[in-house]
Amino acid sequence: MRARHAVAAAATVILGLTGCNANPTAPAEPSGFAKGGTLRILSSSTEFSLDPAKSQSLAITSSGLVLRRLTTWDISPGKPPAVVPDLATDTGRTTDGGKTWTFTLKDGLTFPDGSPITTRDIKYGVERSFAPELGGGLGYHKTLLDGGEAYKGPYTGASLASIVTPDDKTITFTLKTAYGDWPWIVSMPAFSPVPKASDDPANYGKNPVPSGPYRITSYTAGAEAVLERNPAWKQETDQVRTAGPDKIIFQLGQDTTVAAQRLVADSGDDKGAFGANFVPPAQLAQAQSNPSVKDRIVTSSPGALAYLVINTRRVTDVRVRQALAYASDKRAYLVASGGELGGSPASTLITPGIPGRVAYDLYPTTDPAGDVAKAKELLTAAGQTAPKLTLLTRSDGQWSSQAQALQQGFARAGITVEIRTEEYESWFEHVTSGERDDYDLTLTSWQPDFPSANGNIAPLFASTEIGGGGFNLSRYSAPEVDQLIAAATAEVDPARSGALWAQADKRILQDVPVVPLIYTRNSFLRGSSVENFYIGEYPTYPNYLKASLKQ
Amino acid sequence: MTETAPARIWPRLRADRWAVGGATVAALLIVAAAAAPLLTSTDPYTYDLDAVSGSGVPLGTGGGIGADHWLGVEPMTGRDLFAIVLHGARTSLLVGVGATLVAVLIGVAVGATAGFAGGWWDALASRTTDVVFGFPALIFMIALSAVAPPEIPRLLIVVLVVGFFGWPPIARVVRAQTITLRHRTFVVAAVALGARPHQVLWRHILPNLLPTVLVFGTMLIPSMIGAEAALSFLGVGVPPPTPSWGRTIGDAVSWVQLDPMYLLVPGTALFAATLSFNLLGDGLRDALDPKLRELRR
Repeated sequence: MRARHAVAAAATVILGLTGCNANPTAPAEPSGFAKGGTLRILSSSTEFSLDPAKSQSLAITSSGLVLRRLTTWDISPGKPPAVVPDLATDTGRTTDGGKTWTFTLKDGLTFPDGSPITTRDIKYGVERSFAPELGGGLGYHKTLLDGGEAYKGPYTGASLASIVTPDDKTITFTLKTAYGDWPWIVSMPAFSPVPKASDDPANYGKNPVPSGPYRITSYTAGAEAVLERNPAWKQETDQVRTAGPDKIIFQLGQDTTVAAQRLVADSGDDKGAFGANFVPPAQLAQAQSNPSVKDRIVTSSPGALAYLVINTRRVTDVRVRQALAYASDKRAYLVASGGELGGSPASTLITPGIPGRVAYDLYPTTDPAGDVAKAKELLTAAGQTAPKLTLLTRSDGQWSSQAQALQQGFARAGITVEIRTEEYESWFEHVTSGERDDYDLTLTSWQPDFPSANGNIAPLFASTEIGGGGFNLSRYSAPEVDQLIAAATAEVDPARSGALWAQADKRILQDVPVVPLIYTRNSFLRGSSVENFYIGEYPTYPNYLKASLKQ
Repeated sequence: MTETAPARIWPRLRADRWAVGGATVAALLIVAAAAAPLLTSTDPYTYDLDAVSGSGVPLGTGGGIGADHWLGVEPMTGRDLFAIVLHGARTSLLVGVGATLVAVLIGVAVGATAGFAGGWWDALASRTTDVVFGFPALIFMIALSAVAPPEIPRLLIVVLVVGFFGWPPIARVVRAQTITLRHRTFVVAAVALGARPHQVLWRHILPNLLPTVLVFGTMLIPSMIGAEAALSFLGVGVPPPTPSWGRTIGDAVSWVQLDPMYLLVPGTALFAATLSFNLLGDGLRDALDPKLRELRR
């Protein structure tokens, strides 16, 4: 349980930090996928580890260049995301309504040393993700696979009985309950092959055995990772990766402002570069005012949900929480997030672009700046006309200015908010460990790890996700909601599960454990020679797998 | 120096145009900071989203300069920059003066007792002074501000932390001065007549240290203001939304190409404050020590 919490939570926050949905205006249809050149990716991160067990990377970003999984994502401009076969020949077969799933590998798949990729390598890859020393990766499978909760990884000599490999090409997974989204789960990094002989838990992430079109050829800690072609990869076996550039260099530890300014300037090697981080508001405004740069901004459609967390253990009166919903100044929050290019006002938990979403607004206000009179009324009814609350937030990026935007909004209704800032790591530990429940409010954002309403709701509101690394930051616990989540998760029929998730969405917001603020949009900048750089409807990140360079 | 009476300092100070200029600007800043709510039509916390575009850029010329906002507005919020700078002066001066008082108190206590008592106490105090003097203060301040418990007001922490690292230069000068004073005839006479050590220190030595302390204290204020600005610039100073020049400058750096006024206004204020106190301190020193001044000419 614990491991899964940590995993799911960590995964999503990173996404939240980085993410939103994409696709306002579909860029011009790519003319073709040119081969050659050196692509540079500027990232603020100082870590570059592709250990599939520890990775929270989306299928279409860095790890997808090196590691193939059973399935992967086909992300194209203007089209809904699709799960497609990667190493497998199809997206999985089930004969019992979603409880057991069978996959068969394609022919002709090999590692660089010429040995074939087998299902045993995939089984081993999944098993090692259970090892406690390899925590932190996307771990949805850990609670879904039968026997997963007791399993502690292959290093103790044990193997997971619910994964069966009758031959080199076939693999069968047995789940605890039926799970309709399993084809999406096997697109996650843990479902990539790891040859047992090459495993070295401490260092595998620096030099993983590649199955995709690239391999890591050099890595300088904190500064640079160089990826070059993996000769064993064959284009005809892969329907999503185009492998345009000959070389991909990740430049790490780049200040986001400086990186954006470099991309705006677009000189020298930076012409063939793009930024992995969001463009900060100032550079975004600057880039927009310059016609030659404007074309090189890629903005997603509204995606991740940015929301205000209300600690329901401390703010116990639902009327006070409702007052917070009415007094939230979403307009100021939006401007603090970059304005029109920063997102659009939100009212639901399930984000746009997710199948089954029902739009509604339980706390409607005519003005996005909020309804102060209504908030005051509710506070009077609750007998707390001047509540004093503590808002804990991150010191980096825009979080502080976003917190101030809300603070001034609440002040209009007589609610005094004291802002406390912490470094990201310290904040994350503080809100997810559940040991120090000393904040009333906090701010975060969330994008599901795969396009299903499950990912919008369960990790944030199931009572099992409180503390221990879980991301139920509101400490929200309602038996009725837990039952709805269980029922919706087990439902294999997408239409019926969709309806259940929509019902849960509304039911949760009746209790106001969070205030949805905006559906964020992400903007990225590319150099002038980068082609096929776009964002699909989901996720709100560019697709690294198809980016190529003008030749 | 002991013979310098205030009556003789004043004309000298007045003759120094730079010192008068510095004193005037410093006085203006203090008055403006004290009367900040009277001088501004809005407080520095009120958002004015009509003054910025949809993407948060101030509308109009010079970062939104107009009748409502004399110096323009802050991007992303529309908060009045004039109000932010004036209220920011309160933070800067409060920290500057508060931290200086802390530094002067510690510095004089350590320096005077070390110089007067000598012996092991002098050795210990001098070595401690050297250690604190050579300390990478900024890094330590950042670390301290980060781990300080949230219950203590941040402004107090900043004052104490910045003040604590400012005392070594004062302690050194005061110690040297105390050693010379200790051998002066009036002190020797007082000791010979049976005055107790604390009486000598309090009645004969401290009053004669006052001019030195005054000069050093004045010259310490700008560096304290600078230290607070540096901490706020790095995000560990006073918490938002309390206005602070350092934090505004930090925020403004990324906007400099789009809205240079946003950086220019708090930057000029910080420059004016530190320069004026430095000039005033220089002038005071020259006025108190005419020999030095003649040497310089």
